[in-house]
Amino acid sequence: MKRVISSSIFVALITTMFTGCSMFAKESSSKESGVPAPVEINKSTVNGATGNNEISSLTDSSNEPLLTKENKIVITVLGQGVAPVNTVSPAQAYAMAKRAAIADGYRLIAEKVKGVRVEGDDLIKNMMVKRSTIRTTVDTMIKNANVIETTFKDGLCEVEMEIIVFHSQFAQ
Amino acid sequence: MRSRNGNNSISFSICSIILFSSLALNAGEYLISYRYVVKDAILYNEALFVAKAMKRCDGIPQTAIELETNSSSDLKKIITENSDEFIDYIHKLGMHVKHSDVTINAQYKSTTILTLKTTCFKVDFNDNFARITPLK
Repeated sequence: MKRVISSSIFVALITTMFTGCSMFAKESSSKESGVPAPVEINKSTVNGATGNNEISSLTDSSNEPLLTKENKIVITVLGQGVAPVNTVSPAQAYAMAKRAAIADGYRLIAEKVKGVRVEGDDLIKNMMVKRSTIRTTVDTMIKNANVIETTFKDGLCEVEMEIIVFHSQFAQ
Repeated sequence: MRSRNGNNSISFSICSIILFSSLALNAGEYLISYRYVVKDAILYNEALFVAKAMKRCDGIPQTAIELETNSSSDLKKIITENSDEFIDYIHKLGMHVKHSDVTINAQYKSTTILTLKTTCFKVDFNDNFARITPLK
């Protein structure tokens, strides 16, 4: 009787061991299969940094394209402009909003190509911030920028602009 | 080998031919500048200045634009009639971008000024179109 009991316990231990191992093995395999694949950064978007939504290229500096003799950089931006309230006609509103959007697009291109000067001032009085001021300035010349697409909806005009930067333009 | 006087006469005749041919084509040189201001994403002011040059301009001709004249020789009128086309062309030539924005206590204000600095353009008036060429 004792022999039967001990043998049955032994068999049970062996089976639990095996099933346990196999279960763990299954879990690990399912985990391996369930892990999502690493997200690939779209190379085409990294190639040309866009105006608003290119956070990946900004955070990861290793993916930023370098301007060399062999390659060129395409910079794409999205300028926004608003129609004034006191316009005579919708056509005038569109024309004025588009002009404002183009100016915004030029400013975004200038920010990317030349850079932005940022100045900050905080006035603290009696341990309290009385006035916080941030000034940014851009001052440059932009040539050969192209308007790719224009959309006008609800008084907001959006202009997609593009500029191709070549190495020769920066060569000293 | 020709004498100095002989050379002078040849150069004078060439110059006179060029002068008369340009007069026949009704060519002229104009100074054009363009500037517009955008405040808080709204177009605030836009100005296009056209004036006939009082001095001869020097420079290399760049890419030209042709505008319909409708038998007019008034450049300002021609540009006004084809303003969109001409302003697009001006943008391609190169605009000086000056932008400044200020955020005071989380209130944002911005000003963007785009300028085409005074540039000399050679304008050839023909029957149906005017050929405008910047000199740089």
